[in-house]
Amino acid sequence: MKNIPDKDILLFRSCLVSVEYPGVEASTKFVFDKLGIDYSISEKQTCCTGLGHYSDVFNQIDTSAIGARNFKIAKELGRPNMVMMCATCYAINKKSVKLLNKKDDLREHINKLFDENGLSHLKYEKDDLKPTENIFHVVDILYGKKDKIKDNIKYDLSDYTIATHHGCHYCKVHYEDTIGGVRDPNIMDELIEECGCKTIGWYDHKRATCGTGFRQRYSNPDLSFNATADKMNAIADEDVDILVHLCPNCHIQFDRYQHLIGEREGRNFRAIHLNISQFLALAMGGDLDKVIGQKAHTVPIDSVIKELKEVEK
Amino acid sequence: MSSQQKITDSPIEFAVEIINDVKNSKDEGVLKCVQCGMCTSTCPAARHSDYNPREIIERVLDGDETILEDDNIWNCFYCYTCHSVCPVGNSVCEVNQILKQIAIENEMGYEKLYEYMGFADSYFTAAIGAIPEIFFTDIDRDVPGWWDFRQHLDEIRNELELDPPLMPSDDVIDEVSKILTITGFKAKIEKIRASQEGDNEEHSR
Amino acid sequence: MRDDLKVGVFLCECGGNIADIVDLDKVRQELDVEFVGQFENLCSLNGRKIIRDAIFDHDLDRVVVAACSPISHEKTFQDYVKPLNPYLMDMANIREQCSWVHDDKQKATAKAITLINASIEKVKQSDSVDPIYCQTPDEVAVIGGGIAGMNAALSLAKQGIKVTLIEQSPSIGGHMAKIGKVFSPVKIAEECGMCLLNPILNELVWNENICVLTNTKVIEAERRAGTYNLILEKSPRYVDTEKCIACGKCAEACEVEVPNDWNDNLSTRKAIYRPFGQSYPESYVIDMDNCTKCSNCVKACTMKAIKLRGKPERIPLQVGSIIVATGHKLFDMDKRPEYGYTRYDDVITQSELGRITGVNGPTKGKLLKSNGEVPKRVVMIQCVGSRDEKPDGHRYCSKICCTVALKNANIIKHKYPDTDVLICYTDIRTPGMFEKYYKHTQENEVRFMRGRPGEVVKKGDNFIVRTEDTLKGEFVEIEADMVVLSTAMEPSEGTKEIAEILNVGTTEDGFIKESHPKIKPIATDVQGIFVCGTAHDPKDITDSIMQATAAAAKVSEYNYGGVEIEPFIAEIDTEKCTVCGECIARCKYKSMSIQNDEIYIDPMSCTGCGKCLVGCKQMAIHVNGNIDEKILATIKGVLSKKQDGERMILVFLDNIGYTAADNIGVNRLKYPESIHIIKVISVNRVSPKHIHYALDNGADGVFIGEFPGDLMYDEVERKIQGVKDRISEMGENPDRITFSKVYIPYFSGLARKLTDFDKKIEELDEAEL
Repeated sequence: MKNIPDKDILLFRSCLVSVEYPGVEASTKFVFDKLGIDYSISEKQTCCTGLGHYSDVFNQIDTSAIGARNFKIAKELGRPNMVMMCATCYAINKKSVKLLNKKDDLREHINKLFDENGLSHLKYEKDDLKPTENIFHVVDILYGKKDKIKDNIKYDLSDYTIATHHGCHYCKVHYEDTIGGVRDPNIMDELIEECGCKTIGWYDHKRATCGTGFRQRYSNPDLSFNATADKMNAIADEDVDILVHLCPNCHIQFDRYQHLIGEREGRNFRAIHLNISQFLALAMGGDLDKVIGQKAHTVPIDSVIKELKEVEK
Repeated sequence: MSSQQKITDSPIEFAVEIINDVKNSKDEGVLKCVQCGMCTSTCPAARHSDYNPREIIERVLDGDETILEDDNIWNCFYCYTCHSVCPVGNSVCEVNQILKQIAIENEMGYEKLYEYMGFADSYFTAAIGAIPEIFFTDIDRDVPGWWDFRQHLDEIRNELELDPPLMPSDDVIDEVSKILTITGFKAKIEKIRASQEGDNEEHSR
Repeated sequence: MRDDLKVGVFLCECGGNIADIVDLDKVRQELDVEFVGQFENLCSLNGRKIIRDAIFDHDLDRVVVAACSPISHEKTFQDYVKPLNPYLMDMANIREQCSWVHDDKQKATAKAITLINASIEKVKQSDSVDPIYCQTPDEVAVIGGGIAGMNAALSLAKQGIKVTLIEQSPSIGGHMAKIGKVFSPVKIAEECGMCLLNPILNELVWNENICVLTNTKVIEAERRAGTYNLILEKSPRYVDTEKCIACGKCAEACEVEVPNDWNDNLSTRKAIYRPFGQSYPESYVIDMDNCTKCSNCVKACTMKAIKLRGKPERIPLQVGSIIVATGHKLFDMDKRPEYGYTRYDDVITQSELGRITGVNGPTKGKLLKSNGEVPKRVVMIQCVGSRDEKPDGHRYCSKICCTVALKNANIIKHKYPDTDVLICYTDIRTPGMFEKYYKHTQENEVRFMRGRPGEVVKKGDNFIVRTEDTLKGEFVEIEADMVVLSTAMEPSEGTKEIAEILNVGTTEDGFIKESHPKIKPIATDVQGIFVCGTAHDPKDITDSIMQATAAAAKVSEYNYGGVEIEPFIAEIDTEKCTVCGECIARCKYKSMSIQNDEIYIDPMSCTGCGKCLVGCKQMAIHVNGNIDEKILATIKGVLSKKQDGERMILVFLDNIGYTAADNIGVNRLKYPESIHIIKVISVNRVSPKHIHYALDNGADGVFIGEFPGDLMYDEVERKIQGVKDRISEMGENPDRITFSKVYIPYFSGLARKLTDFDKKIEELDEAEL
């Protein structure tokens, strides 16, 4: 088991979380505070380029140069442990760290550009950060504090049928670092169990993509929604109430487009969609408006969660 | 269909070019492909379209550069399932990304990128990635209530005690703009835009 | 005095291999020795006469043979220098490490002269020593009672050798006993596996030279000069095998039912049980993990054979050699959850299918699904866990799965012609005669699809196998009601444990490693330990038996010939020794112990690395063979030939590194002429003194290579770092010294490292000009 930090953390803000599901950020902070995790946020940070990168607009040099700048910020803050709320930020940053460490040509090229253009302060030195030791997703950090979750649970969510959707860019890109399985991902199932709940575990297409496919959602909506429908149908077959996510991109695809895909499939899909941080925050007593940020959700959270039952102590 | 391989042909060079690409993290993975089809067996795009990841590698190993112009390569979801199961340690997902970058370097596929220029613009104006406004009408049509929600985003964030949406200061934006200028990104974007907007003008004429 | 020794140098042309690149006429002119001769092929039989005559005619004291690598012909020339002591001869390797790696004739010639000169200086420091012979005890331990271990034991026993066959489980027989049917490629038919196994088992049981110990494991092993002292632990059986008549009344009385592991848990057995019908010893056994100690069995046993109390028994065993036949296990299907093995009863392995179709299996040979129906379509998935480099997978091909699938498909087709059998494969590997069986399978209407399935899911009553038909280029979903997984073979836990206990090398995949994959496929890297069967690598029954009998032959050779050990090992001066034990603690090879109040050094395990020398306050240890002096003389011999402006890099390599360096030559790769390789018994013998001397006297760089698997690796790495630190304190550049990992197979990597180091030294030289 790799070493998971609980301090010197830079919580890396995500463009999609910020403008689509701000409650994910509020919930992450809420849960981190409950679990005693030392983190902060930097105003100087920029986005990872992920959306543009995977739309093929940014190439690797652009992305790694932007990455180098963000890595420098983390390093100089004394918070080398970068923790992402978005699976794509996680994949993009981890890959940039790997490449900058491993490929001397790339690193030297970018450093030379920095040097020649008055940006020497951004130069990346080999092994400034380590991909496995410094680049994490929020779920990793939560997993590191797994044993403390139980003590903080206020509400019992065990009556709901819960399934998990593990984002591809957390599980599959850097599979050697993934906790809880790649071919049958289970890290969130394990976290949910710590809340006293049981997930349905495996279901058809469990490890499959949400269907966003970056450009597919906008340029090939049929292809995108067909892939999502595979998964939505499988989840509806299992009569799932809550689908738990770890990536805002998947979250958008399921929450925002559930109605539309239901119409396409001639089925009434009814699951609500929560990020793992939101799920934990809810179970730990976080307010639906002030912490979970339910107003940002398209499928109303209260369509499934009508009342909250406190756990019997 | 038949084809010939001349003694002077060197089909492997295409694969070697891909291996040498900075994005490649799989060393010689592409050369180790045995066409087992496990990538295609698990590929969402293969399930729902004519995209076939195994065939991508087959064509790469054949040195078939016409693949760069094949519309199908734009169907990959970048879900990395093939990458996570490939038994020989290849990654079609990465190869696909590299193919597209080679295509773009050779001025192909600009029309595919044009709609996504918003991702580039938002970096120069706000140092963040934002969904291009060009898609807002589609989203508003497909997602009931989304536009209204976006209008109230600041209030929601206030209620969550979050700062206003990620909006770095001007010096950060300047620095990022500079980075994206010196990497050649800006020039590329301008070139793509000019080519597409030039095309449009021609069409309208 | 040593300078007065008469040295003869014999130059070998090696049929042009050397003479085409190295100007031997020039070499002859440059050498200042008693005698120089040049011959076309020194290793040929008349080389013996040429060398011997010269030794007599010129009254030579020492001989240098400048030819190929000592790895190829050292033994030959040690023999040819008779009546001289074999260790008074040294070889200068001017083929693998000169003519085969360099193109420039002038530079190659200069280098040959340097190498020969180094050998001349070195051989002058040599003394006569005699090789050490060890006679080993004849007794043999065979570890593992499967088909390989049984055959090895039987073959040895028939040659009159006493064998102890050690089996961890309650019965011998191994995987073959449960396999059901077997087939041979020549006979296009399947036959009963147990019927073939039984005669072997009976013969073994009745052979007086074999002692079978079941429920027994090796827990400790220690080696002393060719003798292995093993400690075995025999777990209690709780049933007296002498009294038990295997009537089965005890099992009838037992109320505890547990999954029957011999049937791959497809049926149940009692806590007191007999593993299978023909198991040996012919006796019941209690599975104490599940026994409730109700005593029903004790009451039911008319023979009074059962005792519910018992303790593990420790048995010492002394043998001369060991055959490891600890076998394999099958891939853990938890590692590939997408195939649904743990979720669905009717997703099974080939091994389970073998049990199901076996007449002594859970369904008495009927192919039935968990609901009792005959399947309509069986899909087999090949290469599960094999040919898969993703985490927990195996890069190798498990070799038998294609033919196992064909066999099981045929068995299904014979009995249930209406059941559709489809094999999803990547490549069908049926070499040699097996191809005929493949054709036979096709004739039996078994279907094949080329594609590696991605997942198996349940939809309604049936499964969906998702795959690509790669020949059509089409994604397909195949409906099936039974899925059979051809799981990889991997080293058994017992194989991993015994490798550690016996300290034998393993491959990166955890199998027991042979000492040479091509020409020594049975010996391990430890003298006197041999391997056979699937503990070595995936193989079928036939190959296991062949290797087992070959291992028996190797043991015979070993028993007959004894062991010859290089004499360059440590020796204790018992007069000075205070038996403080410091050397025992320091020795990484565990070669030292106290016996009869004296330090005893096991000649078989001592490598002559010299680590003990440093720790001995009494200076009571000495390593035979003047090693320090020889290294120094070699260094001097090289450096004294340095020409103006020539760059000289000394490369110290032990046997492994030296073999890798030879491989560079064998493969005709190149490295710079500045590289001068010096072979040492252990790189630990290269002392700071040697390195300082070299750098002070003209060496531009020092490269030390060691195999990371060597027990001294960390030690040497630390030591070199220390030397670098000191060099740097003395104002010299520590970058002139480098320490590097070497591996025999990665000779191209070594060539690259040597080239890179030369380039670095060149840059340093230029910078310091």
